[in-house]
Amino acid sequence: MKVLVLSITGLFLMLLQASISFHFSIDLFKPDFAIPLVIYVTFFMGAGPGFVTVLCVGFIEESLSIAPAGSIMFVLVSIFLITTFMKNKLYIDSRYSFAAVSSVAIVLESLLILMLSLLARGEAPNALHILLYAIPSALSTGLVSLFIYTFIEYLNAAYLDRE
Amino acid sequence: MKNSIAIILAIFVLAVSFLSFTNTPLVVKTFTGVKQGLGLAIGPALKIVGKPTGWIGNGFDRYVNLIHTKEENDRLKNRVDTLLMENQKIPELERENRSLKGLLDFVEKKPNTMIAAKVSGEDLKNWFHSIIIDKGRSSGIREKMPVITPKGLVGQAVEIDQWHSKVMVINDVNSSVDVNVEGKNTRGLLEGTGETTLKLRYVVKNDEIEIGDKLSTSGKDSIYPKGIPVGIVITVDRNKAGIFSDIDVMPFNNFKQLDEVLIVKKQ
Repeated sequence: MKVLVLSITGLFLMLLQASISFHFSIDLFKPDFAIPLVIYVTFFMGAGPGFVTVLCVGFIEESLSIAPAGSIMFVLVSIFLITTFMKNKLYIDSRYSFAAVSSVAIVLESLLILMLSLLARGEAPNALHILLYAIPSALSTGLVSLFIYTFIEYLNAAYLDRE
Repeated sequence: MKNSIAIILAIFVLAVSFLSFTNTPLVVKTFTGVKQGLGLAIGPALKIVGKPTGWIGNGFDRYVNLIHTKEENDRLKNRVDTLLMENQKIPELERENRSLKGLLDFVEKKPNTMIAAKVSGEDLKNWFHSIIIDKGRSSGIREKMPVITPKGLVGQAVEIDQWHSKVMVINDVNSSVDVNVEGKNTRGLLEGTGETTLKLRYVVKNDEIEIGDKLSTSGKDSIYPKGIPVGIVITVDRNKAGIFSDIDVMPFNNFKQLDEVLIVKKQ
C-alpha cells in the first residue's frame, strides 16, 4: 500500500514537473523527483519495495523523456543497487542528511549516464551539458528532497503507519 | 531472502536496460512496448495535470506583464520613433513577407497535411530538449514528422504514443537540419547545442554568408520539407582554425513559449 501511494505521488510529481517546467525556464535547476523517492523507499522500507518503486518511476520517467530507451532505467537501478549496498554504511536521521544523500545521488546519476554513453556507444555528445547541469540539479533536488522527506513523514504519521 | 530476490531482479533489469540502450533488437522492442503501454495512461494524465499548471503559468505571465506595463509604455514610445526610421527597411520586410507567404501557401495548399497540437509539457531531464504534445498515433502522427509554427521550424516527432508524442526540438544536441541561406547559394548543417543558439556547420570560409542572413530548410535531409524558416545568423567567425566558419544561429521560435504547433504529415 505504502509503495503504491509513494509511486502515485512520484507519478503526480513528475507529471507536474513536466507541465510546470515548460512554463518556467528552470532548465539549469530542474529537480529530479525519482531519485529521492527511490532512495527513501529503499532506505527506509527495504530492497523489495525499493525495486518496485524503481520500476514504476523509471518507466514514467522514460515515458516523459526522449532519453535513449533504457538509459534512465539503467541509472535508477544502479542508484537503487548502490543505496541497497550502502544502507548499512550511511546514516540518514533527518531531512537534511536525506537531502545531502539525494544531492550526491544526482551527481552520481550524471556520472553514470556519461559512463553508460561512453561504454555502450563510445561517445557522449551532450557530455558537457550533463556535467554543467549536474551541480545545479543536485542543489535543486536537495531542496526538493527536504519537502519530499517531510511530506512522506507526514503521510506516515497521519495515514500510512496506521495499517 | 526477500532482499536477495529484489537485488537479483534489479541486476536482471540493469542488464535489460543496458541491452536496450545498445539497441539490441529484441530487447528494444520489448522495452519500448512496455514504455508505450505506460504511455497510454501518461498522455491523458499529463493533459489533466497540465490544465491547472497552464492556468498558473498564464496567470504568472499576466502578473509579470502587469509589473512591466509602465516600463513597456516608455519603451513603446521609443519604439514608435524607431519604427519611423525602420520604415526605410521596407524592401527587407517585403522579402520576409514573401517567405512567410510561402509558408502560408504551404499550409493552405495542403490543408489535410497539417495536424494542430497543443504543447502539454517538456522533457523531464535537462540533458535533452524535447516538448510533449497532446496528439499521438491516434491522430495520425508518426516518427520523423516535422513540427512547425507560423514563425518557423520547431523540430521533429521522435517518440509517438497513442495519445501524446515527444518532439525533439532543433536545439537538442542530437538534432541536425540541412539548411540553405535565403537568397544565397550557401548550404550547411544546423546542429543543436543544447543552448538557445544553434551552430551552422560545414560552411566553408569563402562561402557567402553574413550576420542577419536568414536560414530555411533545404529539403535535402528527407525529414523537413523545403522552405521552412529556421533562424537568423547572429555571428560569423572566419578567424577560427580550419576550413569552416564558426557560425551561430538564433532560431525564430522561442521553444519555451510554444503553445500550439503544427505537425506536417508525410505524403
